[in-house]
Amino acid sequence: MTGRRPGARGSGARPRPGRSRSVWGLPSVRIALVILAAIAILTAFGSALAPQNPLTINANALFQGPSMHHLLGTDYLGRDVLSRLMAGTRLSVLTALEAVGIGLALGAVPGVATVFLGRWFDFTANRVADALMTLPYVFFAVAVTAALGNDLGHAMMAVGILLAPLFFRVTRAATLEHARSQYVEAAELLGASKVHVIRVHVLRKVLPNIAVTTASMTAAALLAVSFLTFLSIGVQPPAPTWGGMLSSDLDYLSLAPWAPFIPGAFIAITVGALNALADAFRDRSSAGALVLVDPVTQRVLRTDPRNLEPVDGDRQSQSVA
Amino acid sequence: MTVAGPPRMGTVSAAGAATAPRRRRGRVAAVRIGGGLAVLVPIVVLSTFITYSLGALSNSDPAATILGQDAATPAAVARLNRALGLDHPLVVQYWNWLTQAVQGKLGRSYFTQIPVAQSISQRLPVDLSIAILAVILAVVIGGTAGVVAAIRRGGWLDRGVTVVCSAVSTLPAFVVGIILVVLFAVTVHLLPANGYVGPTTSIPEWLKYIILPSLALSLAVSADIARQLRTSLVEVLDRNYIVGARVRGLPYRRILVRHALRNAAGPALTILGNDFPQMLAGAVAAEVVFSLPGLGQLVLESAETRDIPVVQGVLLVISSFVIVVNLVVNTTLNWLYRTSDGLGA
Repeated sequence: MTGRRPGARGSGARPRPGRSRSVWGLPSVRIALVILAAIAILTAFGSALAPQNPLTINANALFQGPSMHHLLGTDYLGRDVLSRLMAGTRLSVLTALEAVGIGLALGAVPGVATVFLGRWFDFTANRVADALMTLPYVFFAVAVTAALGNDLGHAMMAVGILLAPLFFRVTRAATLEHARSQYVEAAELLGASKVHVIRVHVLRKVLPNIAVTTASMTAAALLAVSFLTFLSIGVQPPAPTWGGMLSSDLDYLSLAPWAPFIPGAFIAITVGALNALADAFRDRSSAGALVLVDPVTQRVLRTDPRNLEPVDGDRQSQSVA
Repeated sequence: MTVAGPPRMGTVSAAGAATAPRRRRGRVAAVRIGGGLAVLVPIVVLSTFITYSLGALSNSDPAATILGQDAATPAAVARLNRALGLDHPLVVQYWNWLTQAVQGKLGRSYFTQIPVAQSISQRLPVDLSIAILAVILAVVIGGTAGVVAAIRRGGWLDRGVTVVCSAVSTLPAFVVGIILVVLFAVTVHLLPANGYVGPTTSIPEWLKYIILPSLALSLAVSADIARQLRTSLVEVLDRNYIVGARVRGLPYRRILVRHALRNAAGPALTILGNDFPQMLAGAVAAEVVFSLPGLGQLVLESAETRDIPVVQGVLLVISSFVIVVNLVVNTTLNWLYRTSDGLGA
């Protein structure tokens, strides 16, 4: 997981091994881990820890600002915003993890396998990945709920299926890089079985890439689930969700213009922590995720700089001509 | 294209013998575009098949939905299923749907009986205008910010741009949209928070309604462009030929535009090209936040009533847009890389 590689920068430069440039020592990683630990606790015990009942309506305390009694104020029905955020964490995080789990299983496993299964499988798998990448995440998810019924689990399954090609691309590229290396060739010449080569020589090297991608994809899935609940897909109204709170705040903007900033900040901080973690790991392990896409806008978040160069030999032929 | 600097020397000296290779290069390009189109066929087939089979996945019975509870006798349902072609195997249904779709016929809504193509063509301009305005804004905002940061590198403007860029790119687009509504529509009452006026009625009014969604969509892309442009411009500005041009006394603005920017624009253009195909999907998302009458609203309304033909039609339009624009962008970028050594260097 720490992504140490032969010849990794800095590992030999500092004599003291304990306080060397471990990823875990970076301040951004530490802050991110604290945030994510808090989110994990909220996922497990959010409803129990909430200071008040997230569903209790109080007509005498509508749109209140932060106070001792309501640390983050109240919403348009006088419900405690902090309690609703805490209670809404579980649904968002669990469905995001569902999507990432599906993406990981459907993407990373064939991503490693495709390198060893021959050209036809590779061609087919790549075309399927290309086709899936043309579908818009959020609206594919909405379409799936139209077909299968309005349920957040169904919607996030659809998001998971569309995350799979991104996992596939990253894993396949990383596997290709290692499968053609000399030590794999050496291991094969020494008579190692294919399973042994994959398990010992390839999988271990590919894991940092998968870890980085998983962190980014979890961030993307959280954004997707927030947007879907914002569109009130799959959740019945009184149940608290991050996106649902944003959407109801939007309806009462003229009365409480500051209100959407609270769930917005909650989403942004969580997503930011996951992205910071992914960034730190990628920088340290040179596990370059190829393409990462914002699920809502489908904007390409990051592209490996190595991809920016055209890979054909045309430039050479031009200067020769 | 004339680009100053040592990297071009080899090509410039060989320019006299360029006619024959140019013809060959044309053929190579044609083969490449043809190959690209051939690769597209399985992608188009798969993605449209996934879109169509959503209808088959649904456990709802369209004929029963259309007829309503009272009229849905088994005989009537069977008759309507035959009329809709739903009694064929899935692959045959898909083929019929696709051949109709290619001719612009996407069937009718189960509920309103309005042709799907008609409701889509009514709403598509909203999303298209948001997407196109967002691209323009991203180029202007991102380009300006990147150039300013690179010129004033190390200064407070540079640091400001860097901080704002990383803040903006962690914020999800729909949260940015809501913040913009709060800032410009609720606090300052400068722009409307929702609603829409067509460009045929009044262009300034139309701009008023689409500027906020476009801005929300473009900010994150602007941040990417600004960061990438700053990095490559800083690198280019340190090159010897820029120093040489300054020593020769060329005006700084001219050096910046003619020599530095032209050579530094490649990676930023690539980022823009990667983002552009997804802009329509992003516009559909942004349009929902601002409740503009676009494709997003249409999908949400139809999903609620499980009006499958409409949902399929919208998905088909968005994914076709992605495929076509992707092809155009890739071809253009490849062509740019090939015609200029400076790009991406």
